[in-house]
Amino acid sequence: MKELLIVEDDLEMQEFYKDMLQGEPFTVTIVSNAEEGIKKTKEKIYDLVILDILMEGVTGDRFFALLRRDSRYKEVPVIMASALDEKTYRCFRALGNVSFLEKPFNKERLLSEITMRFKSKK
Amino acid sequence: MFTNKKEIILNINRIIFSSLDIREVYQTMSKELLKVIDFDRMSVTLITEDNNLYETFVLSKDYEYTELKEGVQYPMEGSLMKRVVQFRQPVIVEDTSKGGFLTDSVLYKEGIHSRLGYPLEHKGCVIGSVNFGSKRKDYYSKKHITFFSQIAPQLAMAIENTRLFNGIKEAEEKYRTVIESSPDIIFECTKDGEFLLMSPSVEKITGYPANQFYENRGYGLSLCHEEDQESMQREILQILNGQNNSLMDIEFRVIHKQGHVVWLSLEMVPMKQNNDIIGIEGFCRDITERKKLDELKDNLVRDVTHELKTPVAKIEMAIDMFERSITLGNKVSLGRGSQIHEILRNNVKRLKNSIKNILDISKLESGVEPLKLSDISIAALVKQIVYEQKDSASTKTIVLTHQLPSSIPIIKADRDMIYHLINHLVNNAIKFTEHGKIIISANVLPDVVEVTVEDTGRGLDEKTRERVFEKFYKETPSAFGSGIGLAICKNIVQKHRGRIWVESEGRGKGARFKFTLPIITNNLFMGARENEGIVNCRR
Repeated sequence: MKELLIVEDDLEMQEFYKDMLQGEPFTVTIVSNAEEGIKKTKEKIYDLVILDILMEGVTGDRFFALLRRDSRYKEVPVIMASALDEKTYRCFRALGNVSFLEKPFNKERLLSEITMRFKSKK
Repeated sequence: MFTNKKEIILNINRIIFSSLDIREVYQTMSKELLKVIDFDRMSVTLITEDNNLYETFVLSKDYEYTELKEGVQYPMEGSLMKRVVQFRQPVIVEDTSKGGFLTDSVLYKEGIHSRLGYPLEHKGCVIGSVNFGSKRKDYYSKKHITFFSQIAPQLAMAIENTRLFNGIKEAEEKYRTVIESSPDIIFECTKDGEFLLMSPSVEKITGYPANQFYENRGYGLSLCHEEDQESMQREILQILNGQNNSLMDIEFRVIHKQGHVVWLSLEMVPMKQNNDIIGIEGFCRDITERKKLDELKDNLVRDVTHELKTPVAKIEMAIDMFERSITLGNKVSLGRGSQIHEILRNNVKRLKNSIKNILDISKLESGVEPLKLSDISIAALVKQIVYEQKDSASTKTIVLTHQLPSSIPIIKADRDMIYHLINHLVNNAIKFTEHGKIIISANVLPDVVEVTVEDTGRGLDEKTRERVFEKFYKETPSAFGSGIGLAICKNIVQKHRGRIWVESEGRGKGARFKFTLPIITNNLFMGARENEGIVNCRR
């Protein structure tokens, strides 16, 4: 089963993720900040990381840059989720294998994004 | 008289080209000429551009007073010069007492009795004349004309050169003034990175003096921010390779000598020599201030957008959650129902709050709404707020209390605004405190009431303490809230002629937000209404 790591500091957003991914063929791990996220990625290699961008402490974009420095995470697909539009974070495309998911999204949108990310994995 | 004639002519011609300063030449030349042509007065006069006036360019004479002075412009009409210029021929006046030119009578009074005017031509145009005057009547003859004809062309050329040289000098002077006083950096740089020109303003902008650029090849690019170096090199190559004839508004960063980043906007064109591109020239403008404003504006738009879009996004997602629960065919479970209800309620509240804040600050800043002053009791307000906020504090294991002196004077203020002010400070304290206590206290000082909201929360470092009341300032871009709340507080306090500030021993050491409001005493009030005041106030 594919393993997903979601880094999201908003507890309500966490509930939406849990609700939407319930019963889907993934194992989902949700953490509330980037520091915890980093700890998790050190423990094992997830198949996909979903990141909130504006978080207290280490922001999602910085976490993403740090993640790509880890050689095991060079190719792991990433979804950056935010209420801001895509162009604010366009520069992070350079870090590779990333897409943007604008909040709000519904279950179908989330699942299709995840499926697309898995397909794009080299 | 004309012994050594050739030698003298040669000598005069040598003198003519010895210097570009015609006045200097003239002095030497007139001494030399005296050896061969006797004169008591000699002048070079030049026609002005409109051909109507002439100017005595240089003058020498052996007597004191003259009507026709050096550097003054005279009308051409009626002058000897006009005739000389018109006919391009030398003109001799044998006797000025009988002469037909207006200038004859003027010079006759000065003792000049005969004259010779000789045209000065350069590239086919008459530019003026050389004029000799003698105290002797009937002095000048053909032989003088023949003799002078061998000097006149060179003299005319020298005069033109001087005029040209003066023109260039003037233009160069202007050019130099422009470069030296320009606030922008003006430069010329060869293909090899050698600076041919670097205006002094570079020192003000980058901290490095211009001579460092002249002395070090490629110095400009080395100051460039490392992230911009590659793109700058690319742009410069485009110009050097002739792919582009000019590039405008190239924004890049340089590192100032003091270490900070300076934003520059560059415009450049190729520098050419015989159609070959030999380098680049252009200018750089300091746009750091504009960049800072842009960044502030971008952040502001981003933060406000985020603050408004997030709750709306979550409301939409909660509705989606609700719909999915129903389409699954079953009734929404009680647990799920209350969860959705909770999310909706929270986010509608958050959205309302953000909208209110944004409207409040624009209202306060525009000053359209006057203060609704009334007698208010700070103690009552504080007690009310403690009562209202106690629950939300205790969910975070914070004890919210007040410490108020036995009596606080009634002050004149806008009740709603002061309520908002204290309430916001308490809300903030709850937001940034995980556990511990929050104490609202008041202190009566001679002219003011000082209110303190003290917490045991995360505290503020020095930089944040300085900026925390700025509109839209946030410690980190992701920090919760719109960054408007404290700006509103500051505005409210200022409207009441009070002061607001924050004290904190540093990170993790709690914070004390303090503000003062002036006490408008009864005495002051009575002073204005002396006769009826006492009775009214005691009622």
